[in-house]
Amino acid sequence: MLSPAPNTTTPTEGSEDDVRIWRNPLTAWGGAGAEPEVPTIPYKDPTEIWAETRKSGVPLLPVGRLRYYYKWPGHGEKLWSKLRYWPTRRRILHVRGEYNPKTLRREKTIVDKRPIWWALGLLALALAPFAFPASQLNTLLAAGAFFGIYAAINLCWMLVLGTASIFSLATYAVVGTAAFITTWLSISLGLPWWGLPIIGSAIGLVFGVVIAIPATRLDGFYYSLLTLGLNELCRVYFVQSKIFGSATGGLYGADTYVPKSWSPFDQSMLGYYAALMLMCGALLLYRMVDGRRLGRILRMAPEKREAFAEATGVDFRRARIQVFVVSSIALGFIGGFYAAHYRGVGFSIFSFDTVLLGLAMLVIGGIGRAEGAVVGTAVVVFLDKVLISWGPLRLFAIGIIMLLVVLYLRNGLFGIKQQFRAWRDKKKSERRSARAEKGGEMLPEEATETSNKDLVYWRRYDKIQRDYLKSLVSSELIEEHKSNPLGQHSEALERLLLYFRRQPLPDKYAIQVVQPFKAYRIVALSGHRGVPPRVVEDKLYPSQDEAYHGVFMRRVQDLLES
Amino acid sequence: MAQIKLFGYTDRISVKPGEAVTFHVSADGAATAIAQLVRLVHGDENPLGPGFIEEEVSCEANGEWRVQKQYTQLGSFLTVDDPVGKLALEGSMSVFGFIFPGLPGDGRRQCLIGRWNNDKSAGYCLGISQDGHLEFWVGRGDEVDYIKTEVPLMKKTWYFVAATFDAASGKATIHQESVTNRYNGLLGSVAPIDYRSHVAETFRFKQKNLEDTPFLIGGSRDFHELRGPFVSQIFSGKIDRPGIYDRALSRGELEQLAKGTLPSTDGLVAYWDTAEGYTDAGIGDTVIDIGPNKLNAKGYNRPVRAQTGWNWNGRNDCFRLAPREYGGVELHHDAMIDCNWKPTRTVRLPESLRSGIYAMRLRAGDGAGLGEEYVVFYVRPKQPKAKIAFLVPTASYLAYANEHLSFDAEIIQPMTGQPPIISEIDVEMYKNLDFGLSTYDSWADGNGVCYSSYRRPIVNMRPKHRMSSMGVPWAFPADLSIVGWLEHKGYDYDVLTDEDLHIEGVDALKPYSCVLTGTHPEYYSERMLDGTEDYISGGGRYIYMGGNGYYWNVAFREDEPWIMEVRKLDSGMRAWNARPGEHYLATTGQKSGLWKNLGRPPQKLVGIGFIAEGFETSRPYRRMPDSYHRQVSWIMEGIEGELIGEEGLAYGGAAGLELDRYDLTLGTPPHTKILASSGGHSDNYMLSIEEILYPYPGLAGSQDYRIRGDIIFFNAPNDGAVFCGGSIAFGQALPAKNFDNNVSRLLGNVVDAFIKPGSLPGSHWISEEKQWR
Repeated sequence: MLSPAPNTTTPTEGSEDDVRIWRNPLTAWGGAGAEPEVPTIPYKDPTEIWAETRKSGVPLLPVGRLRYYYKWPGHGEKLWSKLRYWPTRRRILHVRGEYNPKTLRREKTIVDKRPIWWALGLLALALAPFAFPASQLNTLLAAGAFFGIYAAINLCWMLVLGTASIFSLATYAVVGTAAFITTWLSISLGLPWWGLPIIGSAIGLVFGVVIAIPATRLDGFYYSLLTLGLNELCRVYFVQSKIFGSATGGLYGADTYVPKSWSPFDQSMLGYYAALMLMCGALLLYRMVDGRRLGRILRMAPEKREAFAEATGVDFRRARIQVFVVSSIALGFIGGFYAAHYRGVGFSIFSFDTVLLGLAMLVIGGIGRAEGAVVGTAVVVFLDKVLISWGPLRLFAIGIIMLLVVLYLRNGLFGIKQQFRAWRDKKKSERRSARAEKGGEMLPEEATETSNKDLVYWRRYDKIQRDYLKSLVSSELIEEHKSNPLGQHSEALERLLLYFRRQPLPDKYAIQVVQPFKAYRIVALSGHRGVPPRVVEDKLYPSQDEAYHGVFMRRVQDLLES
Repeated sequence: MAQIKLFGYTDRISVKPGEAVTFHVSADGAATAIAQLVRLVHGDENPLGPGFIEEEVSCEANGEWRVQKQYTQLGSFLTVDDPVGKLALEGSMSVFGFIFPGLPGDGRRQCLIGRWNNDKSAGYCLGISQDGHLEFWVGRGDEVDYIKTEVPLMKKTWYFVAATFDAASGKATIHQESVTNRYNGLLGSVAPIDYRSHVAETFRFKQKNLEDTPFLIGGSRDFHELRGPFVSQIFSGKIDRPGIYDRALSRGELEQLAKGTLPSTDGLVAYWDTAEGYTDAGIGDTVIDIGPNKLNAKGYNRPVRAQTGWNWNGRNDCFRLAPREYGGVELHHDAMIDCNWKPTRTVRLPESLRSGIYAMRLRAGDGAGLGEEYVVFYVRPKQPKAKIAFLVPTASYLAYANEHLSFDAEIIQPMTGQPPIISEIDVEMYKNLDFGLSTYDSWADGNGVCYSSYRRPIVNMRPKHRMSSMGVPWAFPADLSIVGWLEHKGYDYDVLTDEDLHIEGVDALKPYSCVLTGTHPEYYSERMLDGTEDYISGGGRYIYMGGNGYYWNVAFREDEPWIMEVRKLDSGMRAWNARPGEHYLATTGQKSGLWKNLGRPPQKLVGIGFIAEGFETSRPYRRMPDSYHRQVSWIMEGIEGELIGEEGLAYGGAAGLELDRYDLTLGTPPHTKILASSGGHSDNYMLSIEEILYPYPGLAGSQDYRIRGDIIFFNAPNDGAVFCGGSIAFGQALPAKNFDNNVSRLLGNVVDAFIKPGSLPGSHWISEEKQWR
């Protein structure tokens, strides 16, 4: 808190020689408060500092960035017909029209380029089989099909983990259970292949509802444990159960959509494209859940801020359970497809390393994004299924990549851009604060970011003004103000006061009445209509004059500190 | 429990005994309040004066009142009465108009033209999106479909805007074209800006119109559980000649409309010709639809008319000269002219009530802080009977009503030379936009507020209030010092308001021998000025108690005296400056601004006029040699020494705040005598701006001889006379030392003489001097 003792804030000690006398021009008129002679400091020329200041105290470096890429101009008088994704109101590309602040030229910016990347990526996947080397064709097609199925599973899992923020590890338990039961039904009841995903969905629904119930009560780690236990329970059950083929390492013999009459190559191609279609289906589901009402509700209730969302009327629990159940149905569907694709299912689907590998895919890509799930799956599948020749080393590679991602990336591969920008901003402000003077003139890089150039000059003027005024602060002036806060003052004090009074409104000091003529308190104005002033100190001043002086002392202190 | 707050206002401020006055009260955190009619005698709590004085008066309404929370509709917009739903277009449509956005992209959605229900997402609307793009949208309840232009709108630029919708194909288009010329907007053609945009998209569905959604220009229907329906998403800016068709117009047709040609009647549903119906004597709130259905629009919260339109080209400066160029209707989301609260209680005043300044004192809870409210009104006599009238400057109260200077005006601390001293009620007023603004504030888009009314709580028209930026009472609470003096001296007096003077003219003043003004009668309509002039020239004796009076030309409508209009322009000490071409009062068609610039400087009326203002110290007056002349020396009877007014409740002196000076060049009657003048004002006192042609160093109090207050006297025709106190602080010097001071004595001498019939003392000492010394 401010000490009212003037000496502590006084850079120029008023020694005997420095003290001069100011004669009040109003004394001759009589009246109260017009002291004839007031001790003051010698005159200091306010223009001197302008003559002395010949250059900036900090290095001023060139700024400006070359436009090396093209930006479309505006449409001007031409009619711009925008296309939409039928039957939604979404435009094909989100394009922002704007005025370039440097030239005022009309420009268009594609705000979200992801549709372009998706289109290119999916096109590449569709055409990939024609580019596969013949020697590895079978491996790659098999890996591709595996990728498609796992990408679909991971997209559903991402809905649970990312959108619904439910830390469930029972994903593969749902897929596996659906796959086992549908396989068994297909073998024992002769269920056709197209029935498997449908029955699988029903199993997913039951499973989803059952494990959703504890999710309403358990949080985070405990729920993960529970679902992991469930996964293990399924594994133990299916491994030991005779009807699910405990002896053969899995249950095989289900009906399949791949015609047996086809050549092995055609069968692989069909499997590849079928799995790709499954992934596209999962992508659509992801978009429908995450990008629409449910997803928006859940984004209003991010982790650790649920209570606030709930207080504002967001029923995030209901939304979470809905997302969970929907993705469980989809996982059951995928389980049925899995059985129809591989003609059955192995116990390894329940194994702990499957869960871990799945987690690795999600973490590498980045939680909460569809592209993260798909690309993460692609990376891991490529290492795991294509680079088989590496042997166990490839699992190490996956582990190392995952470790690096967890250590260095905040949100997987697809968080890199954002993370890089945050890092660049941090470096930028570090560099600026290292170079710039506190309260000094703007650097060229700050000026480019200031649309009103008048403010750039104001900063210069204010800096020079303060440098001059700081040299005036003295015990004489403080004493003069204390004895007479209002009215005619010596030249030096008047200059200080005029500067203080002309400061911008945000955070400008004012006095608030606590009790009329008995108690006053210093506050700071907001400068924004509708926002009340804030209290800056507890101290109460018994009179208006003392409060005026309290404000003056705070202003002097702020000046000297700047 | 919520903090207890009470606020109220009356439907009229000037009433007579036995008449009814309706109180509108809003309460937070209380269901009942205790009402007590009080007569206000003194309002300044300054310990150097007599303190706050009120007298409780018996009244049928005293006692417990049921009160409730009331809501205020902020913002000005146009409503359209459409009983048969002509505007509930079910299929294709086109909407168009010219707009001048004031705050595009301020984070609020703003509706321009439409029948939109914001609560239920149903209807259609052309508006401005949160990020400042022109947007057209239709809603069917569960979903909204919309189309927006390519680039954001530039502020303070005239655009032609339109949207078309073909319900059969679903094709929607939206258009914006700039209609800037060399005069009408912020930017000239040297700024390389392409304002145009034309976009087409296909909607998935058409609008669903709800029965009860109103068609609004500049807003949309919204709903709140406690408050019920209200209007939100209000446009800030000007709108000119909007219209609507029930078919999709072609590009060619739109281009014709953008040129300002009259719309074809084929499919036209409504076309509001904002420049229609102007008269030489002003413009009302009705915006006329010259289309086939005559669906006239009506302004809510007094949209500003008579503003320059899209086609204003700088040649004409008034809507009377070129009405077609003045089609701009200015809307603001923060304008408020009438709270329109439900009446809380209609009170019949006692028949025996003495004329005076009264208030209904309301208290809820412990009655402390905001739990106490004084709803002030003025009681005239049934028949004038006293010799003295105190003319309450209610027009000036309106001008300053709920001013935000301490909080919003960067200039106020250098101007008043001190940090503001704000009180609880100032903070409450600042926090809560529902109190509306004064003519010293600007709307959010930076334009000066030109309308003020008393149909809202006015926090500074109440006793005990101190103007935060100056730390002293100002206007109403300061004027109570004059009332306190009249009471203390035991004079028989009646109270009149500016409203009475405006409506009745000289007839309101005529019955009185002597009229005293308030401390700051700054805002005068032509009729008020005429009435005052006629009173004085007809033999009235007039005491101008204040400073900076008869300054701004203001206007009231015949049927709505509670709303005042002023335009501040070009000269004078002013909080804002009207835009080019917008200097005439929409209410009357007169030019606003200073009376001085209209040929009627205050000196011409009362002998002195505004010269300087300053706010941290006051000075005494010193007798001038003319005061020794026997023609006027009776005024100085009993005054010892030469200094007059060395104390006072406004900065400790009788000459301060705003000073008025004698000036023959501005029409001070040539026989006027200066009785006393102040001097030695600090450099915070600066020459008023209309006196300055070139500014040069030394135009401040300690170096310019003109900066002074003059106490003057002159004889007027028919035994009339004028006495002037010379500054605002003069009235606040009266209560010093419990009214025992030489200002009080001086004024007493004047009033005593003024109320005596016949010629004034000293009126025979008029021969030429033949001196021996």
